[in-house]
Amino acid sequence: MKGRQGVRQGWLVTRRELRERARSRAFLASMALMVVIVAAMLIVPAMLKPGGGTRDIGLTGRAPAGLAATIAGQAHAAGLKARIYRYAHLAAGEQAVRQGHVEVLVSAGQRLEWQGRADQQLKAVVTGAIQLAVVRERAAAAGIRPEAAAALLAPVPVSSVELGHVAGRSPADETAVIVMTGILFFCITIFGAMVLNGVLEEKGSRVVEVLLARIPARALLAGKIAGIGLLGLAQIAVTALAAFIAVTAVGSIDIPAIRGTVLAWAVVWFVLGYALYATLYGALGSLGSRAEDAQAVAGPVMVFLPVAYFASFFMIAQPASAAAKAISYFPLTAPFAMPGRIAMGATAWWEPVLALALSLATIIGLVQLAGRLYTNAILHSGPALSLKDAWRNATAGPAPAHPHATKALHHAARAATGRKTTMTTTDLSSHRLLVTVLTGIALALGVTVAVLTSDVILGVIAGFGFFSVTIMMVRLWTGHPGPPVEHH
Amino acid sequence: MLDFDGLTKRFGRLTALDGCTFAARPGRLTGFLGPNGAGKTTAMRAVFGLVELDAGTVRWRDGPVSAAERARFGYMPEERGLYPRMRVRDQLVYLGQLCGSAARDVGRSVDSWLERLGLAARAADRLDALSHGNQQRVQLIAALVGEPELLVLDEPFAGLDPIAMDAMGGLLSDVAAGGATVLFSSHQLDLVEDLCQDVVIIEHGRVVLAGELAELRTRVPQRFVDIRYRGPAPDWSQLAPVELIGARDGQARLRAGPGTDLAAVLARVQDRADIVSFAYQPPTLSELFREAVAA
Repeated sequence: MKGRQGVRQGWLVTRRELRERARSRAFLASMALMVVIVAAMLIVPAMLKPGGGTRDIGLTGRAPAGLAATIAGQAHAAGLKARIYRYAHLAAGEQAVRQGHVEVLVSAGQRLEWQGRADQQLKAVVTGAIQLAVVRERAAAAGIRPEAAAALLAPVPVSSVELGHVAGRSPADETAVIVMTGILFFCITIFGAMVLNGVLEEKGSRVVEVLLARIPARALLAGKIAGIGLLGLAQIAVTALAAFIAVTAVGSIDIPAIRGTVLAWAVVWFVLGYALYATLYGALGSLGSRAEDAQAVAGPVMVFLPVAYFASFFMIAQPASAAAKAISYFPLTAPFAMPGRIAMGATAWWEPVLALALSLATIIGLVQLAGRLYTNAILHSGPALSLKDAWRNATAGPAPAHPHATKALHHAARAATGRKTTMTTTDLSSHRLLVTVLTGIALALGVTVAVLTSDVILGVIAGFGFFSVTIMMVRLWTGHPGPPVEHH
Repeated sequence: MLDFDGLTKRFGRLTALDGCTFAARPGRLTGFLGPNGAGKTTAMRAVFGLVELDAGTVRWRDGPVSAAERARFGYMPEERGLYPRMRVRDQLVYLGQLCGSAARDVGRSVDSWLERLGLAARAADRLDALSHGNQQRVQLIAALVGEPELLVLDEPFAGLDPIAMDAMGGLLSDVAAGGATVLFSSHQLDLVEDLCQDVVIIEHGRVVLAGELAELRTRVPQRFVDIRYRGPAPDWSQLAPVELIGARDGQARLRAGPGTDLAAVLARVQDRADIVSFAYQPPTLSELFREAVAA
């Protein structure tokens, strides 16, 4: 009964998010802009290619017999369409090149004239055709019958194999996964920020107290994340549809054939990745009290996210390495790394299932934690609340005793209203120690990663990423905005 | 019946509620009074589970408050807030549906409240397009939608002009008369005295005075005499055992201890001035309040 009410309320929250956001001009404008950009990215390059695959070629002077037909045949073999124009005089032909009527002028069957730089593909086609036509002409002159000449000149089929790829794994899968991971990164950045701002907006306008009097924080947060997620999915679907229509209209790009299992896993990890990061954003959002606090409270995730994304890229090079395995299990990097390993065929069947269970457990834990932080942080409307204070309010009972009674009272009053406290001398020295220890750990981690992956850049990224994320977490926990300044 | 039973809440060393115990009864207006920082807001938040109590419970109809019941209560927090960019009617219907009522019933309830508070024409406007006073009315409807059986309002009269105060007072009285339990906090003691049947006064998280207002007033031994007169001021110092509390042109308030001879007082005043009115009264709520809080 209680659970059903929560679900119903969560659905109401989702519906509100969908309705209100879909109605906003900003959303409609961003959607239209995205569709236009994607369509333009696909259509414009195709349009810039002259004639959309049809190439105009001029001929002048004496040419080998059947050159025009040979050019057309060679162009067809290269996937192009050739249109041949004949010019009686060289001057007229050159004029046509200068005016852009033809791309290339074949003069006297042995000179190619271009307006600017030669197009390599067209040059190869025309040169090949000239060679072929000349060989045929000479063969005829040597008394070889045309059928015999054709047999001599019959092309040998040549296939090409990419040895870098393992059997059973297709480049199309790999491309699809890279694209999906990129879209996931993009979506978490955009829609995660929407969740963060949505939470801060509710706190800033104080509507949150009215809401939480009626519905549990978990239902409010879950409903909001689902609403924004569905809206994001709709936005992607519309954009994908626009891209598909554009590609079909232009006929320029082949749509890769992807294995069903790879695609299914990619979608599962997409949903998980969004849910995980959106919950994290929501929980951190509850620590702030207005839109300006977004940077302060969500800093760690904003720094960590690109690190996780790029780590998954390096992983693609060595999908079977220990590092790749580790990041494909760790819940915060799994949504980026696991689909790649699946596409590479580098996983046993149970590996994605285990990682999935880990991520699901993390999401459930985060929703519980976020709900708790959320309710406790409601009472607060000052500067961004520290994680410690938000958690303390949650734990029943008085705060630990402090040496100076008056200061303790002051401290407690501040904690109660959620204000930042100034640093004491003991805090300062412990902060220095912390920075030293963290620098050591980060250095060790960076060196280890660099040695293991034999990549210095990767090591630097790992070390720096660890340091900045940990420092931000510490700041978030204590509520201090920057390096400590002594106040006494 | 809403029972606050031994509510205790500490924020670190700061004790916001310290065994706070009282009840609000259905069909009556209960005024919740106390100086700033006495714990009124914390106690009201506890009704909605917004505060994790260290001890004590809030009970509704002799049982713990269930999530479904809580969702149906009406609440107006001290810090007002709604979605500024959402349309008035959409917003109220949304908040009403969160109570658990069907969309159609909520819509009907919202429309009738909008009509009653003169906001029917603004239903499709965004909240931030409304004046401050009208936004306050929308906030009130947000608490009233779904016709709650318990209404808790934190400082509902703060920032209202006298006309709006009268309207709010009338409305709260009507809601209580309809059988609902209404608890509200206020610093406007005269207003509470006019409106409420019951009052609760807390200080430092503890109840210092609670009960039926009329009974509280008669229970204390002190009585007061209010006199309006025309003519020169009488010599009040001659009036012992009656003690002058305040006097200004043509008006005086005297404290009369037990056993005061009222006829003698009246005669003494009549010697010097023409009496316009003469009233023998129990203390006002603000006198009760000052005494309770000072003690």
